[in-house]
Amino acid sequence: MADSKEAEQVSTSESEQSDLIEPETCIHRENSMLLPAENFISIDYESFENYDCQPSGVIHEIVRSNSQDKSEETPDVVLSSSNDEFSAGEDKEERKQISAKELASALTEEDIEEDETRKPEWRAQKKHIFILSEAGKPIYSRHGSEDKLVTIMGVLQALVSFVHDSNKDNIRCIIAGDHKFVFYVRDPLILVCVSQGADSTQQLLLQLTYVYNQVLSVLTHKTLVSIFKQRRNYDLRRLLSGSEKFLDSLLSLIETDYSFLLGAVRCLPLDLQVRDMISQSIIQHARVKDLVFALILANNQLVTLVRMKKYYLHPVDLHLIINLVHASESFKAAESWTPICLPKFDSSGYLQAHISYLDESCQTCLLLLTVDRESFFTLSDCKNKIKERLLKYNGLNAIGDSLTKTSYSINQCGITDLRHFLYKSRSTAQYTSPEVEAPYLGTEEQERLFGLYQYLHHRIHTSARPLKILYHVGPHETLLGWITQGFELYAVFGPLVTKPSAIHSINKLLKWIKREEDRLFILNSVTF
Amino acid sequence: MGTKGATRLVSFFVFNSNYGPREGEEHKKILFYYPKEEDLDNKIKNIGLCEAIVKFAETFSDKPCQSMHTQKMRHLFLEPEKDFWAVMTVSIPFIEKQKEGQPYTEYQEEDVQDPVYEALLRQAYRMFQVCTSPVYEAILRQAYRLFQLFNGTFCHILAKTNNNVDVLKQRLDHFYSRYLQTLRVHQSDIIDIFSGIHFMPLDKNTYLRVQCFINLLEARFPYIKYTAFMYNDQLVWSGLEQDDMRIMYKYLTTSLFPSYQEQELQGTSSVSPARTTTAQAIHYGKFVTGPPDINDENTLGKIPRVFINSEVENEECFLLVYRAHNASVCMLINVANTMTFDLCRKLDGFLGPQLTQLASDIGEQYSKRVTTSGDPPYRYIYFNHMNLAQKTTVHTDNKKSSGIHIPPDTLRLLTDISADMSKSSEDGETIVKTFSDNWVVGKKSDQREFYVVINQKNANLIEINGNNYNIRMN
Amino acid sequence: MTSSEDSGSFFIELCKNPIRFDPVDKNTNVFYDDANKQVFTVRSGGAVGVVVKGPKENDSSTFRIESRGDVMSIKFSPDRKILGIQRSPKSVEFINFGDDMSTDQLEYSQACKGKSTIISGFVWTSPTEIVFITDHGIEFYQVIAEKKSLRSLKTISLSVCWFVWQAESGILLLASGSLSNSLNPFQFRGGIVTKLAKFEVDLPASTKPPRQSLQERDVSMALLYGQLYVVVLRHQPRPGTAAAEIVLYQIMREGPARKTNILRLEMSGRFAINIVSNLVLVHHQTSRTSVVFDIHLDGESDGYVHYHYPVVSPLPIKPFKLLLPSLSPQADKMEYNCELYSANWVVFQPNVIIDAKLGCLWYVELKLDPLVTMIPDKYRLVKLLLVRDDSKRVILSVCRNMLLPGQQANLVSIAKIFDMLNKVYQQYLESECQNLATDSGVPQRSRVIIDQSDMYTHVFSVFEDNKDIKYKFMVAVIIEYIRSLNQCAIPVQHYLYELIINILVPNNCFYQLHQFLQYHVLTDSKPLACLMLSLESVYAPAHQLALDMLKRLSTANEEIIEVLLSKQQLLPAIRFIRSVGIVDTVSSRKFLEAAMNTEDPRLFYTVFKFFEQRNVRLRQNPKFQPGEHCEVYVKHFESLFGTDALAHIQVS
Repeated sequence: MADSKEAEQVSTSESEQSDLIEPETCIHRENSMLLPAENFISIDYESFENYDCQPSGVIHEIVRSNSQDKSEETPDVVLSSSNDEFSAGEDKEERKQISAKELASALTEEDIEEDETRKPEWRAQKKHIFILSEAGKPIYSRHGSEDKLVTIMGVLQALVSFVHDSNKDNIRCIIAGDHKFVFYVRDPLILVCVSQGADSTQQLLLQLTYVYNQVLSVLTHKTLVSIFKQRRNYDLRRLLSGSEKFLDSLLSLIETDYSFLLGAVRCLPLDLQVRDMISQSIIQHARVKDLVFALILANNQLVTLVRMKKYYLHPVDLHLIINLVHASESFKAAESWTPICLPKFDSSGYLQAHISYLDESCQTCLLLLTVDRESFFTLSDCKNKIKERLLKYNGLNAIGDSLTKTSYSINQCGITDLRHFLYKSRSTAQYTSPEVEAPYLGTEEQERLFGLYQYLHHRIHTSARPLKILYHVGPHETLLGWITQGFELYAVFGPLVTKPSAIHSINKLLKWIKREEDRLFILNSVTF
Repeated sequence: MGTKGATRLVSFFVFNSNYGPREGEEHKKILFYYPKEEDLDNKIKNIGLCEAIVKFAETFSDKPCQSMHTQKMRHLFLEPEKDFWAVMTVSIPFIEKQKEGQPYTEYQEEDVQDPVYEALLRQAYRMFQVCTSPVYEAILRQAYRLFQLFNGTFCHILAKTNNNVDVLKQRLDHFYSRYLQTLRVHQSDIIDIFSGIHFMPLDKNTYLRVQCFINLLEARFPYIKYTAFMYNDQLVWSGLEQDDMRIMYKYLTTSLFPSYQEQELQGTSSVSPARTTTAQAIHYGKFVTGPPDINDENTLGKIPRVFINSEVENEECFLLVYRAHNASVCMLINVANTMTFDLCRKLDGFLGPQLTQLASDIGEQYSKRVTTSGDPPYRYIYFNHMNLAQKTTVHTDNKKSSGIHIPPDTLRLLTDISADMSKSSEDGETIVKTFSDNWVVGKKSDQREFYVVINQKNANLIEINGNNYNIRMN
Repeated sequence: MTSSEDSGSFFIELCKNPIRFDPVDKNTNVFYDDANKQVFTVRSGGAVGVVVKGPKENDSSTFRIESRGDVMSIKFSPDRKILGIQRSPKSVEFINFGDDMSTDQLEYSQACKGKSTIISGFVWTSPTEIVFITDHGIEFYQVIAEKKSLRSLKTISLSVCWFVWQAESGILLLASGSLSNSLNPFQFRGGIVTKLAKFEVDLPASTKPPRQSLQERDVSMALLYGQLYVVVLRHQPRPGTAAAEIVLYQIMREGPARKTNILRLEMSGRFAINIVSNLVLVHHQTSRTSVVFDIHLDGESDGYVHYHYPVVSPLPIKPFKLLLPSLSPQADKMEYNCELYSANWVVFQPNVIIDAKLGCLWYVELKLDPLVTMIPDKYRLVKLLLVRDDSKRVILSVCRNMLLPGQQANLVSIAKIFDMLNKVYQQYLESECQNLATDSGVPQRSRVIIDQSDMYTHVFSVFEDNKDIKYKFMVAVIIEYIRSLNQCAIPVQHYLYELIINILVPNNCFYQLHQFLQYHVLTDSKPLACLMLSLESVYAPAHQLALDMLKRLSTANEEIIEVLLSKQQLLPAIRFIRSVGIVDTVSSRKFLEAAMNTEDPRLFYTVFKFFEQRNVRLRQNPKFQPGEHCEVYVKHFESLFGTDALAHIQVS
């Protein structure tokens, strides 16, 4: 089943447990004990009627700040609700398994209506992402507007259910030339990726789960399920309208930020004392009941994370948070108060997030996550205290400095023929990597570099045939991947490097990282 | 652990959508469908699905659809000729496991490697065309190409029978219903992708003698258009073009020779090895295809017809194979010439003594060479893209009929590596250490691919060096 | 040269310009000394004059001798210094001559020993030694010209019926016995007489006695293929059979001569024998035809004796026209058709025919070209030709023709012929080596050698000129030839490979070509590699094959680098120079230039960095030296990746 695949994904990341993170199996147990599900859930779970207003109301809070979304919103709803009604009927038929004939006809329809799929530029897109309901209702398309993609969505849905109905099987993917069509069926949604990039199917599948989780973080799993339980043909876009930008930004992050590939986060390099000082500031000034997580992000890097004992933040959830911050300009305008569901933490409910920037340049972002949705002002207060203390001890400057250095240059490692590397500390699910420098100038080359890492990672982690070491001499680079208990190392050399010198460089590099360890990683986790 | 399900051939079918465009006529699209037992609705449904997939893929990709992965199945697609689609479905191997008392099935999707089965599919077509063969992609490819070997292209058949689809159906049925039996789907591997040729190592002078022998043969019997000379299952000389020889080789080594040897064992074919023919001296020559007994005028035996593309497309030829000791001469004679018993006798008279002599001379060299030592510290597979030369010590024999010397996963790893390297035209090298601490070296340079599996647990990356194992091979 | 059609149908000719001399008449005698090949015309006992004519113009001379009765025999010593004249059965007179053939005409004489002894003849065995053959045996003398006297060296007594002298081998054959069929060979060398084992010539067991005794005229000696044979003509070998035959006895160092060959004439009557370039030529007067035997061509054998039949059916000698000065001034020279096989013919060994009445001496000559059409079996033909003098041209044309459509020989005999040619070729090469090794300038008996270049230029060239030969046949033929060479362990010249390649390629037999290379049928060489390179456009793998070849040669690093760079294959090029350890010596400029031309920044970056590192290794400094002229590439690098990307001196 599709889920079993998902299960794999989780388990692999579990294996890289850090003291930041703990198996969330326990999380549920714990938190249900600590905070009664009711009052946590009651916030969001209204009876079905006011469903439309309430959670989307929640969403509007996020959206409000950037008004341009507003305009589209209304017609959006109208349109959707309209075809909502009449499609309710054909439901019943669709329940009955689709015959090959219908499949074919679905395909021929497409010829009639003018639609995106006719447009070469649309067709040429490197990576398409489609979200649709099990009933085939368009929910999201990364490129082109869903309305114009009704048919393709129909076909996708048809394929899925045909394969399922005809022999209790599940479609996984289709290969055609450079194109990979990856299907991820996760009740009640169907997610499909069509990519012609370097990503392996497993990687695309992982990306789809991220997309799925992103949807959850807006709606929660519980809501999602119950909506469709009520109305198979519900047009989910009305609930998601405004949050497409999170999906969009998530997808572009996935293609440029190694965090997702590695299932790890990147820390802003800081001297140990500075970082401690910063964490201390939070501990001192944010001891508030029901505050679960407090963290500071700077330019998608983690500065510090303080958590309630027994609660852990899964990298996946952290990535969603990073994406949330990354995607929204609004937080820069003003302190914000927004609900967010962290699927790994608890897919059934929301946390309430207080989000604010600590510096004028809006680089250092403080997030306070609580279960108490009334505590906005308390937290706003904490924020000011924290800010003061950081100013006092030059915490913000330190962060600023580190940011201006944008990571570090490979030269600092003093290794000549090494071009670039990724080093993941498995115990902490954190990774570090130098700046991307020559010859990888320009997006095209950088995408290619990304592709190389994707290949390296894929080949090493092929679940059926995992590897300990992979040394690959390619046309433009020599790649070295090395997995041990403690770390995963992915290095890129010039194609002419000799094996001995490559190995020599690696050992040199490992020594260097050891030296720099407590600057590059957060080794000891902080709790309230 | 519980029961295990190995990869098996689930279905194989050929269809052309143009033959059943209208509703209710879908069955007309079906040109061949295995298993026959499958009921018509399912046949139509599965073909419908494939049509849908193919069409759907087209909306994004200019390249045709190659495969569909589902949890339990793998579909391989091939459009060998316009609008003709060959589809092969193989099952994903699985293990029945228990989890907290609950039985569940674990499917091992990654054990099924597309490139392998695509190759099989292509070969199957080609074998049909010349007469047909293929690993799943490899297998599917092979399947079609083998068909070609014996039947010519689909279009060629239709053209010859002014578009009588039934003839094509018969041909397909006749060929594939047999061929698919011989398909060892679960044993397919990287070798099927290369589907290369084992060349017989020979010293120059002996080789030249073979050359001159062939030349003489073709001069004496001008209607022999092409000749190939083999010793055991190894090729010494081919007058055919590479691609034809590749498929012919596949056919001879995996089909014709094995079945002939069986006959021999059962002694069904004519006895008296050292018989004197109407021609001179004692010799051990015998027809593998053609007259079973040269002294019995009455039966000309079975002489297969094959389709060759060496000089012109779809040239139909008789395939006459003659053998003495372990040496076989394969003669291709354009069907324009009529095969007479007299001709066969003449051939026997000429070939018998000469080939017997030649064979035993080669035999001497061969026996000298074959004395190899025990279990080597490494195993390798070698393939030369230029002349299709192939060598393997990974498999117990060239036909890989009986087992392999390395873990199956390691063998699949070779396919992974070769697939990776095939992405770039340039030279490359890959060295990996598996979780079972096997070292595997894959090297592609100078148009050659070379894979070594080294069994030295405590070796380190520096010590592992492809070149150390790079024995010079043709 | 007379009209062509008859020149085609005759293979035996009389030489163009016979030696003319005054015909025999009542007061003119003519003598022929086959040792010196000289004709003596003695007019009225020499008083009028003696004219001597030899094969060459210059050694004809004229002098007088005192007329002391009829001359029975007259011969110069080998060095022409002493003239021996026999006028009586008792003695021989001598006259000394100067270099200019001037003479004081003072005779000195030597009589034979014993009253009753009769000199039947004399022969010079060396410039100063002479042998008298008498009815009682032989008397061996040294002639001391300056003292005008002789000294007896040795006398051997033996009743002699008749004798035969073979000058080249210095063998004197004495016939003795009642039927004069027991032959005693003596060898004369450096003043020493060696008696060789005598032997019996078996005579035809004729029914009615008295049995025919062995006649002098039926016996001669001949050198065939370096061996000395006694050639005996038997008229009725076996009762009943009319056909005559010739029996050859080979003279042995030790032991009696062995009967080795029998030549079947299948005719009877008067015969005369000539030896021309190791062939036995037999002229038959009655039929006025001649036949040829070659003992080198294997005939049928009973284990002891080989039986031979004429190589070609009997043919007449080519008609000969003599030009005589015309009597009437107005008409110019008139032609005279000589009578062939005339009764006046006297035949001398090895190849002389004299018509005393006509006053003509001819050398018999053999024409090879006509034989070609007369011997259908190409193998026999070539085998025969191969041991003839200056037959090369003919052999080559035979080989060439047997490849032509229509007259094409089958591969089997072609193969046999190639093997035969190459055997000789091989022996020649071997002896060459030996001569080089032990530079003993032993002059090889000049034999015809057909080497590869001969075959290439004169035989295989036919493939160029004649377009309707099937390529399969061409390939087959050349492969046969290469096979044959290889079997004789003769290194094959590359132009043969080129030839075969140039046949395969236009016929798209690339796979075949590939297999040849694979089995090293075509041996590696730079020229071959270059040829392969040129084929890349038609057959892609050719490029790689060429590279492999160059690498195997391991003497072609420069070429390999050039090839790779020309293909913009920079990484392989650099990996190559690394593999052969010449990284530090190659020109960075050459590589950077090539890299820049690829217009592939990645590649340029890699190559540039490679040489930067080389600089560091060589000089602890990444910068290029001015001498390397790499400024332009540094600029290019900076423009692509910026100055920071340049390596800096490591300070650590």
